[in-house]
Amino acid sequence: MAVATAPPARVAPRHSAREISRSRALNRFKWSIRAPLILLFSLVLTPVLLLQLYFSFHEWTVYLGSWWEAEFVGIDLFKEVLTDERFGWAIVRSLGFAMGSTIGCFVIGFALAYLMYEPFRGSAIYYIIFILPMLTVPIVVAYTAEMLLYQSGPVNDVISRLLGVDFKPAWLTDPKVAMPAVTLLEIWNWTPFSFIIMLAGLSSIPREPIEAAQILGASRWRIFWEVQLPLLRPVILLALVLRFLEAMAEFPKTWALFQGGPGSSTETIPVYIFLTTWQYFQISKGAALSYVAMILMVVIVLLAIQLLRREKRALDAMYSSKTEAAD
Amino acid sequence: MARIELCDLNKSFGSVRAVKDINITIEDGEFVVFVGPSGCGKTTTLRMIAGFEDPTSGEIRIDGRIVNDLEPRDRGLGMVFQSHALFPHKSIAQNIEFGLRMKDVPAPERIQRVREVAEMMHITHLLDKMPAQCSGGESQRVALARTLVTNPSTFLLDEPLSSLDAKLRRELRAECGRLQEELKRTFIFVTHDQEEAMTLADRIVVMRSGEIEQVGSPMDIYSEPISYFVADFFGSPSMNLVAGEVVGDTDVVRFRSTHFDFALPEHFKKSKRGAATFGIRPEHVGVAFGGKGEIELPVRLVEPLGKDTLLYFDDGTERAFIAVSEGLEMADVKSGARITLSFDPRRLYLFDADGRRIGAATQF
Amino acid sequence: MTKSRSRRITAIIRYTVLTIWAIVAFFPIYWMISTSFKIDTQWFAWPPVYFPDPPTLSNYLNVWLGAQEYASTQYAISSQTPLVSLLNSTIIATTSTLLAVVFGAVIAYGVSRYKILSEARMFQLLMLRMIPPIVVVAPLSLYYSALGLLDTMFGLILIYFLTNLPYAVWMTKSFIDEVPREIEQAAEILGASRWRTIFEVVLPLIRSGLVATFLFILILTWSEYLLALILSKTNVATLPVELSKYQGTTEGKVYGRQAALAVGITVPLMIVGLIIRKHLARGFSFGMVRR
Repeated sequence: MAVATAPPARVAPRHSAREISRSRALNRFKWSIRAPLILLFSLVLTPVLLLQLYFSFHEWTVYLGSWWEAEFVGIDLFKEVLTDERFGWAIVRSLGFAMGSTIGCFVIGFALAYLMYEPFRGSAIYYIIFILPMLTVPIVVAYTAEMLLYQSGPVNDVISRLLGVDFKPAWLTDPKVAMPAVTLLEIWNWTPFSFIIMLAGLSSIPREPIEAAQILGASRWRIFWEVQLPLLRPVILLALVLRFLEAMAEFPKTWALFQGGPGSSTETIPVYIFLTTWQYFQISKGAALSYVAMILMVVIVLLAIQLLRREKRALDAMYSSKTEAAD
Repeated sequence: MARIELCDLNKSFGSVRAVKDINITIEDGEFVVFVGPSGCGKTTTLRMIAGFEDPTSGEIRIDGRIVNDLEPRDRGLGMVFQSHALFPHKSIAQNIEFGLRMKDVPAPERIQRVREVAEMMHITHLLDKMPAQCSGGESQRVALARTLVTNPSTFLLDEPLSSLDAKLRRELRAECGRLQEELKRTFIFVTHDQEEAMTLADRIVVMRSGEIEQVGSPMDIYSEPISYFVADFFGSPSMNLVAGEVVGDTDVVRFRSTHFDFALPEHFKKSKRGAATFGIRPEHVGVAFGGKGEIELPVRLVEPLGKDTLLYFDDGTERAFIAVSEGLEMADVKSGARITLSFDPRRLYLFDADGRRIGAATQF
Repeated sequence: MTKSRSRRITAIIRYTVLTIWAIVAFFPIYWMISTSFKIDTQWFAWPPVYFPDPPTLSNYLNVWLGAQEYASTQYAISSQTPLVSLLNSTIIATTSTLLAVVFGAVIAYGVSRYKILSEARMFQLLMLRMIPPIVVVAPLSLYYSALGLLDTMFGLILIYFLTNLPYAVWMTKSFIDEVPREIEQAAEILGASRWRTIFEVVLPLIRSGLVATFLFILILTWSEYLLALILSKTNVATLPVELSKYQGTTEGKVYGRQAALAVGITVPLMIVGLIIRKHLARGFSFGMVRR
């Protein structure tokens, strides 16, 4: 037998060309991945952050000469930003928008997921319809919303016909209604996100604890509160946190639909920064605004990450125990 | 060829010491089985030899050369995994070919060697299939073939049979034995199954909580267990072990427990008195109605197996005292019947409170 | 209450609620599609026109092919045909996504097997994605203009590659984590180097996951608006930017044209999304939630 009689492979002789020390090879491998990553991010991020810092302390608008000759103004810009009432309102608006839409998405998404996690006839079609809003480009959502929401538009028409009363809010021109309108739009757009996450969460809950509770005589309601909800906690928090962060960053819909108006009623943080920088061309004030907003977001994101790290561990534990059971 | 030495090998995972001061030399062409309960460090030891785990301290030598800092692929080893670890996206032929391709063997030679190995392992008919289409036994044959084709100096086998059913297990166990005899390569086999260890090994390494408990031939391990642990681990049905104490003055030495009280053989005379465990294998217990014996016990259960009969006795512990009687002579004994048991004095073991063997040096 | 009766009530509640939301979810999409087939007098009509009558293709022909003769009235729109934007969007989205997924998968492998990034670093990577781009986009555009990257394909590909990398790393990692290590170790002991193990064993093994990741990130890139708006001007306008040019034209509202363009942007996205619908939860949760 050829295989058996051939001399066996040997430990490679010392100093052979391809053989290198394992620890060195491992290090080289690690750094060959790490290095480009670090390089890329530092090449793009560092100058950007430095530029932002520079502009936050130097007064410059595009009408003035070269930006590197701008006048040093110390912390004047930050003073201006921190006493800027419009910015204060933008923060309040952003937080309100993010919270409102997050809760809205979650409540509807959860309800839908709860009604759908057990298989039933037609569930696949509902699933497909439900995820469509999320697969619509945000800017398209904005323009479609405009076609739907003008005062004598189809939405008011349909609601008036269904309720039999004259329902005519001026969604797009009334400062009091504009922000709720964007919030509703965000909810329409991103309920699918909460829905799919909650559905995945609900369907990955092991069946045994629920069945055990059923045998023990627990009602559906009790099972929900005492078995399903605690098991779902990581998924719920994840859905809330990620949605909140995305909502804080929302720009295309708010901008395309309102550009901050009517009045300043839809000026969220991103819209206000955009207006200052690209409409009023106050680059320096925009940079200072960005800086403050960035710090605010870093704080929020750090808190969020703290939470995510904890919940991710819980989730990983759940999935790994599941795969073990499948062995 | 391949002589593997492990010197003061240690491995810690955090504060857990998985492997402690392992010292052993595995000779070229030897079939060594590492055996022990799960978590005893046997797999970790194997994975350190393979190069998948770095030892915390100590050395691994292959043919005298320290390989601690060598990539797994440069150690000239072959490994078969518990889960077979076939590449699910490659056909069986591609799976077997993989190792040759990595060594840049030219295509015509690859095809020929794959064919040879497939014939040797009787899997020619599987070559075009995908791993998902193969049964557990077939997968393990493929895994062996895949290792075989690279012609390693040493085969590392990590519980390769534990995912198979009993019949296939015996079949592939025989196959492993045959392979080793034909190839005359070094085999290091890890298992938690004492029967596998007994049938396959030239030498057995018994491991327990990270340490080597005993090394020896299967016969040594079976008839001269160094400790309670080894005695209990090997043999089926396992050794009868009864907790009690050794008592007596300089002339007489007796073993005493709640149900037992009998004189120990001469060679235990100088043994330490005090708490001890007495052990005897079921096949070394003589059974008779009346007559001379060490003790009389009531029968709890009789299991006629055909070739011989197992008798379970009530000795006041949860674990019944077992005796084997040849043939079906004892098959009709009713439970509750009292039977006299006699112990072969040369096959009687005593273990001290720490589980160490007392008075081991009996000559035969 | 008997079991069958309570079951029927549950079913009635279920179908009612789900159908109501299905209508709410689908109506705007229906409206966009139907408007794209309406003649110009019906775009803005009172009472609203729910079914295009007669349906017309003129909006599509006008917008996509610039065939003015199909329009009953002339509307000035963009200086270029959206086919250029379509090409831009396609090249930018696929290239940046492909780069992100390949590089991301390699990083993910390194993290999964060799801990090349600690858990804290992994979350820092995520942070880059979570902080809104608006807070750095102004200095970024200045930096880009200094480098001459403003309004270039490369500039947009680079920034999308970077912003999508965290998603790619996290999502592919969740797939790689599911590959049994023994399979890689088998490859390794059979003589494969680390790189060959990655490209010949690991990545082929998770190819459906890679496709899902690719398509998922493609969706994000395809719809991105802010960065595209600021970092592109005329040369490399992507479809969302092109669409926004139809807003507030001097001739007033051109809903039918907008809708025809919007349908063209959205339909490919929906098809892609529906293909990977089983993986969307994993994608949006950075691989933390699986099914």
